[in-house]
Amino acid sequence: MLAQVLAVIIFVVMFLLIVTDKIERHIVSLGCGLLMILLVFGLSMHSMTAITETLNLHSFFTVDFWYQAGEASESSAGINWATIVFILGMMIMVEGMGKAGFFRWLCLEIAGLVKYKTIPVFITFMIMSAVLAMFIDSITVILFLAAVTLELAQILKCNPLPMIMAEIFCANLGGSATMCGDPPNIIIGTSLGYSFGDFISNTGVMAGISLIVVIVYFYLCFHKQLAASKGAQMAVTEYPDPKDAITDKRAFITSTVIFAIAVLLLVTHAQTGLTVAFIGTFIAVITLISQPKDAAELLKKVDYKTLLFFIGLFIVVGGLEQTGILAIVASFIGKISGSNAMLMVAIILWISAIASAFVDNIPFAATMIPIIQSLAATQGVDLSVLAWTLSMGTDIGGSATPIGASANVVGISVASKQGYPVSWGYYCKYAAPATILVVLICMLCIYARYF
Amino acid sequence: MSEQLIISIGREFGSGGHVIAEKLAARFGLALYDHNLLDEIAQEKELDAETLKKYDEVPRNMVFSRTVKGFSSSSEENIAHMQFDFLKRKAAAGESFVVVGRCAETMLKDYNGLISIFVLGDIPVKTARVMEVYGLREKEARFKMERHDRHRKMYHNYYCKGKWGDSRNYDLSINSSRLGIERTVDFLESYIKERQK
Repeated sequence: MLAQVLAVIIFVVMFLLIVTDKIERHIVSLGCGLLMILLVFGLSMHSMTAITETLNLHSFFTVDFWYQAGEASESSAGINWATIVFILGMMIMVEGMGKAGFFRWLCLEIAGLVKYKTIPVFITFMIMSAVLAMFIDSITVILFLAAVTLELAQILKCNPLPMIMAEIFCANLGGSATMCGDPPNIIIGTSLGYSFGDFISNTGVMAGISLIVVIVYFYLCFHKQLAASKGAQMAVTEYPDPKDAITDKRAFITSTVIFAIAVLLLVTHAQTGLTVAFIGTFIAVITLISQPKDAAELLKKVDYKTLLFFIGLFIVVGGLEQTGILAIVASFIGKISGSNAMLMVAIILWISAIASAFVDNIPFAATMIPIIQSLAATQGVDLSVLAWTLSMGTDIGGSATPIGASANVVGISVASKQGYPVSWGYYCKYAAPATILVVLICMLCIYARYF
Repeated sequence: MSEQLIISIGREFGSGGHVIAEKLAARFGLALYDHNLLDEIAQEKELDAETLKKYDEVPRNMVFSRTVKGFSSSSEENIAHMQFDFLKRKAAAGESFVVVGRCAETMLKDYNGLISIFVLGDIPVKTARVMEVYGLREKEARFKMERHDRHRKMYHNYYCKGKWGDSRNYDLSINSSRLGIERTVDFLESYIKERQK
């Protein structure tokens, strides 16, 4: 009982500290993780097994961590090292691509293809944002896309905010389509043993349908405003040359090839048996070998704080799991839904979406995974259906508010630093209805396909 | 003292700090930067100044904003940094000016030409002034003063290590209620001239 109370207190304190943003979130999660080990596992439970299971260091030394010949299995509780290693590898690759000028080149090339016309740029950038975010973290996608959008908006004499808002939304949506697009999906995939193909054929389909609707929605919201801009009515002759974006031609070619290899390995990982941990490590190693001069800089630029945040987070969630708190929550959800799977899906989808609109969706998803595992085991609901529900709820819900997802924060920040502040009212006026619309589409898709 | 002269004026609401800053700017023939700073930024970047002014000296809302990898979703924070950068650029270009608020005593502390002043006042005197200037009743005036000072304190203390109004943070803290606005300006003028010698 004491262990459960302490675990809940530590978890709530961690969540509150993350929300208030006063202390950096990796310090919060690591501090709370340490408290969980000392107070809950050590002092209350006297369980060395709980500590070793949660730290999960032994997983590195298993073959399954790097290669899974058969069907991928559910991993044990605790720190999900596969997620950490994969994200680390992708961070190094993306850093290399950004340094070589890949993203800026791609944005300018696509803008050039549509002859720098405001509305076509608006639509193609939405699609590009979604497609890139399927493979690359949405922060990086928005960071580059928003910067180029601001640059083009200055030339096209239009307000960049409609474009940036639509790009943010599509990045979050694109991220939901694949296993590697959004951290909750990586955690869900690696924890529950789902492959890239599983995601694309389930969440990917829902994201694809939603993307079409969202493009129409944002077009209807903003086309008059964009069409009325000065740039839409006059011929602009001077545009930035995409070639100027490439800082190092050799690095550009190699980073593009590495990106293609990463996509290929991810798409085929269920067939090849290579795990995401292996793919992440392999991608990082070939990036560093191919750019030896920049290797130290690339390693230095890795966002270690995010990785440490994940480690602390997994320990705290592991504490909730080991003390049985998450099983209690699962049984509560099971009770209020009366073992009705459709109602359970609706509850998980909408609660995930609403919670993710206000709090970080990563801790939320990490907490919910053991809950849906328990629900599937005790209520007889198909685990994969709950997994896709959780994935869409957490990934999409974050789009509703300026603080719901990392891409929103970065996009808004880039815009307001250039003098285009985004208020909560303005953001939610367009993004909240779009979020509700997409969550509804997902609910209908899940009901139509799995029930 | 360097030839460059930057006078930063922090102030309590109702203390007359802004009027004092205007008068000092006039006496020393210097440009005055207050909320007009955003007009200059807007002109420079072809932006709408009125939109930017909604976020001028507004503290960051800690619950409704988030920071990711050093990027903040708070427009208040981003606009504040635009103003800090603008002031730093002006100072780095060797310009002399008077600046009201905007954490200038901290942002420009590395410049030898900086003279940082904080203007405070007695509550009854400040209340009377706010009642007169804004045509308010006493209760309303006190409420307005408290609200503005609370916001200024939150705004300042978020960006600076030194606390808002703490005398250790400024070259000079002066109670304008003692001498009145005009004589406070006289006193400050002589102090600044003394510093320039």
